[in-house]
Amino acid sequence: MSSDNHFKSLWNQQSTEIPDSKIVLQKAMQLKKKTRNKLIAMNLMLFATSVFIIAIIIYFDPQMITTKLGVVLTIIAMAVFVTVTNVMNKSLFKSNTAYSAKEYLAQFIRLQQKQEFLHKTMLTLYFILLTLGISLYMIEYAMRMPIWGALLTYGITFAWIALNWFYFRPRTIKKQQAKMKEMIAMLENANRNFNEEN
Amino acid sequence: MTFEEIYQAYWQKVFRICMGYVNDSDWAKDIAQETFITVWQKLPGFRNESAIGTWIFRIASNQCLRQLEKQKRMPKSELPEQLEMQQDNSNEAQISFLYKCIAELNEVDRIIISLELEDIKQADIAEIVGISESNVRVKIHRIKEKLTEKFKRYEQR
Repeated sequence: MSSDNHFKSLWNQQSTEIPDSKIVLQKAMQLKKKTRNKLIAMNLMLFATSVFIIAIIIYFDPQMITTKLGVVLTIIAMAVFVTVTNVMNKSLFKSNTAYSAKEYLAQFIRLQQKQEFLHKTMLTLYFILLTLGISLYMIEYAMRMPIWGALLTYGITFAWIALNWFYFRPRTIKKQQAKMKEMIAMLENANRNFNEEN
Repeated sequence: MTFEEIYQAYWQKVFRICMGYVNDSDWAKDIAQETFITVWQKLPGFRNESAIGTWIFRIASNQCLRQLEKQKRMPKSELPEQLEMQQDNSNEAQISFLYKCIAELNEVDRIIISLELEDIKQADIAEIVGISESNVRVKIHRIKEKLTEKFKRYEQR
C-alpha cells in the first residue's frame, strides 16, 4: 500500500459515536439563553441603579448644578462600563462562515488588538468619569458639613479612588495586556504559516 | 438537505478534522459540536454559492483555529505514556501515531492535511484555507514527506 493510501486508510478508521443531534442543539439553545439572561441581568442592574440614583436626586432635591452633573457622570461611567462589557461578550465571530481560514485568523488578530485597546482605554475612561462624578456629587453635601467633616469625607473618598487608580487599575491593565499580548503573538505565529513555503 | 441529514453525513468527517487538529477526543467532540451549532444557526441563510461540504469544512477549520484561545488549557498531542511505551505496530497504535504526528504540525498544516486526508479537492482546500492551489499542493507534498519519514522511523523501532 502506498504511504498516501496508507495514511488515508488510517485516517478514516478514527471514528466516534455520533452524539444525538437533539442534544447538541439543546446545548446551543441553553447557551444562547444563558448568554442572553446574563446580558439582560446586567442591563437591568444598570437601569435599577440609575433609577435609584435619580430617585435620590428627586427626593433630596439638590440645589447645586454640580450634584446633578456628578450624578449624570456617574451614570455615564456605569453605562460605558456595561456597554463595553456587552460588546466584548457578544459573539465576536458572528460571520465565521464567510471567511477562509486565512481571513478568519487575520480577523481574529484584528479583534484581539481592538479589544486590547478598548479594554485599556475604557477602563481609564471609566475611572475618570467615576472620580469626577463622585467628586462633583459630594460638593453640595460637603458644604453643609463642618470643615473637618468635609475634609475627612473627601480624604477617604480620594484615598479609595487613588488606591484603585494607582494600584488596582494598573494591575488589571497589566494582567489583561500580558494575556492579550501573548494571545496576539500566538495568533501571529499561526498566521505566518500561511505564507511560509514549508 | 435538512440539518439532520447534514449532521449524519458530516459528523464523522468534521470530528476527524477536529481530531487531527487537537488529538484529543473529548476536545475534538466539543469543536465538532460547536461547528454543527454554527451550521444549524447559519443553515437558513446558506445559499448554494459553495458546495455544502466546503462550507461546513470552512466552519470546522475556523472553529479549530479558534481553539488558539484555549490552547494553553490543554496539552496537545500527548499520547498516554503506556501507549508510547507499547512498541507494537497494531492498527490502533498506528492510527494514534498518525493523529499524534498531525497534531504536532503547525496550525495551518494540520488543517490542510486533515482536509486532504478527508479526500477534499485541492481547489476546495485552497478556498477553505485561503491560499493558492499551488501553495496547497506544495504544502501537502511536504507534509506527507514529513509524515512518511516519521512513519518509517516509527516502524523501524
